[in-house]
Amino acid sequence: MTSDQHPMFSVSPSGTAPSVVARPAGAAANQHSLHIPHHSSEPLLLFEQVSKWYGSVLALNQVTLSLTGGITGLVGANGAGKSTLLRMANGQLKPTLGRVSVHGIDTWDWRARRLVGYCPDIDAFYEDLSGRRFVWVMARLCGYTRTESTRRTEAVLERVGMRDRADRKLRGYSKGMRQRVKLAQALLHDPELLILDEPLSGIDPIGRQELLEVFQSLAAQGKCLLISSHELEALEKLTNHVAIMARGRIAAVGTLPQIRELLDDHPLSVRIDVDRPRDLARLLLAVPEVLSVDIGKAPEPIGLVVKARHPKQFFQTFSRLVVEHQLEVRRLEPLDESVHDILGYLLGGSGKT
Amino acid sequence: MHASNPHSQHPTNHDQPTTPSVLTAFWVLVVQSFQRHWHVKQMGWVSFGLLTLVVVSVGIVTARDRWGLPERPVRRDLSHRQIAEQQLLPGRYDTRRYDPTGQPPGVATITPAEIPSPFDPVKDGIQNLILSIPQAVMQSPKFLDDWAFMNFSRWVILGAYFGFVLPMFTLAYASAAFGTERESRSLVWVMTRPIPRSAIYTAKFLGTLPWCIVFGLGGFVVLCLAGGELGLRAMKMYWPAAVAGTIAFSAMFHLIGAIFRRPVVVGLVYVFFYEALVAALPGSLKLLSLTFYARSLMYNAATTAGYPTNLLDLSQPETTETAWIVLVIATTALTITGMWLFSKLEYRDDV
Repeated sequence: MTSDQHPMFSVSPSGTAPSVVARPAGAAANQHSLHIPHHSSEPLLLFEQVSKWYGSVLALNQVTLSLTGGITGLVGANGAGKSTLLRMANGQLKPTLGRVSVHGIDTWDWRARRLVGYCPDIDAFYEDLSGRRFVWVMARLCGYTRTESTRRTEAVLERVGMRDRADRKLRGYSKGMRQRVKLAQALLHDPELLILDEPLSGIDPIGRQELLEVFQSLAAQGKCLLISSHELEALEKLTNHVAIMARGRIAAVGTLPQIRELLDDHPLSVRIDVDRPRDLARLLLAVPEVLSVDIGKAPEPIGLVVKARHPKQFFQTFSRLVVEHQLEVRRLEPLDESVHDILGYLLGGSGKT
Repeated sequence: MHASNPHSQHPTNHDQPTTPSVLTAFWVLVVQSFQRHWHVKQMGWVSFGLLTLVVVSVGIVTARDRWGLPERPVRRDLSHRQIAEQQLLPGRYDTRRYDPTGQPPGVATITPAEIPSPFDPVKDGIQNLILSIPQAVMQSPKFLDDWAFMNFSRWVILGAYFGFVLPMFTLAYASAAFGTERESRSLVWVMTRPIPRSAIYTAKFLGTLPWCIVFGLGGFVVLCLAGGELGLRAMKMYWPAAVAGTIAFSAMFHLIGAIFRRPVVVGLVYVFFYEALVAALPGSLKLLSLTFYARSLMYNAATTAGYPTNLLDLSQPETTETAWIVLVIATTALTITGMWLFSKLEYRDDV
């Protein structure tokens, strides 16, 4: 998928810290009830040359990032600065240098928290409360009346699938139920920006799929979701727009194909199943971008594994060859375009996070 | 889970969406902080245990009627009464000796000290004067009562209560407003609500204050009750000092709880090294101690009531008005400082 095809974002790299200029697409902008003036020209979440020091440790280094909608995955190794970035986005931390704002309001300002829902990765609650009571108290702490808090509590519990089992004490909840309650409290005030720190951690496959659907429905409503996760496969199902962090910097941001294309040092591997593999192999070896072609062994030598530089040019050439020589392509699969692979290339390791 | 129809249950899909109120959130946080304090267990139980020990000790002393001067130990196994009896010239002040209905005068033996010195009237006068003091003291109910009350005030109210019970209880409950939530890492839920940080600090303080007052003054009442009649008198006289001290200490420990990650340790150091030492020092350094002003209130209350306050051993106490003004200003200043500092402090839920 190219940047033009991506439903939410286009990428405009700038210097060492590429910024994302996000455009709401499809879903109408949600007019929530908080009466915060909506400035359509302003990005929803904006990091401007933000640096953060913890004593002598540089946690964030001149990060510039701009989001206005959709789902963005935040990935990176432990200690890369993901949590620091998320905590700045919801106003728990102040930047040492630079500015972080939500709709132009500094995130350190309490009014910005009306626009932000935060689902922390910590697993600490008021354990003696029931899930329903906890969410209700959180709604009251948002400033809603009792009646309104009750209504919102029921609505968000319904949304995360906890309405029928929210009366037990939180200390008796499974990890998955606790994650759902955390998500529920983040949705209470209908925030425009949702910051989710490891929201899929500890959730079973069925629950994970359900939460992914919730995230997708929120994005469809025009919400902006910034999700930090080590669950790269699940994240990939949710979005192919990621921000990759390494050593306090945004190493890359954009859609996965866009980022992959920028990695010239790492040739793209593509598996191609075609009716005449030898003919295609001969044609491809003449293409300047192609570095090598491996043909599958008999008895079914239909598959090729091609390593090529400059994916965009390669695919343009490949398409032309297929048409000109009337080849029947049965399968075309990039083998190293996953978040995991890209992360491995960017971080110079396995990509393990 | 209703992901397929997100608008059906969304919180804002309401005919008349309501605007959240910061003021509502503030008062909810006050109530919530008050309710959460049921869970201040560790330091609370420690304080209860220590209070119990003090109350039992006071109760035992009271039951044995040992607050008065006569029973006060002067040295090992010897009380004032016993010393007075030893020094007493037998029969000199014994009314029975001169009571025609009592023991005949000839019963008491005459000691060498009782032998008059008719040729040295000065020696005779001094001897009689010195030997008469202990017995004269023992014969003055007003002096003995005042002495007993001030003795109780000094050891129980000034020493045990202001020096120990009050700081411990206020430390336990005031520092726990943030300390407990920080330790359990649940503070993130409050810190991510749309409430100004300074309001969070104030709301937490207001939610905590009733507990500090209940237990701070509760400890005072219990100690006074354990003191019997003396204690009841002390309770009536010193309660304003106890209230002022409780609120001022609460403000101090709330501030400590908000800015330090180990508030109990810092609070204990403050109580037992700063307050205990500085407030007892002569000179102007004691003016920086909260206890000094609470003690001044207590001293002035006793002085006004006509008690001999030299037993309280307080050097150059402030006037009642000054003490009140300083305690009120200190409480306000500590709270405003806390609001300001807390609004600048970052909260990290990962440490």
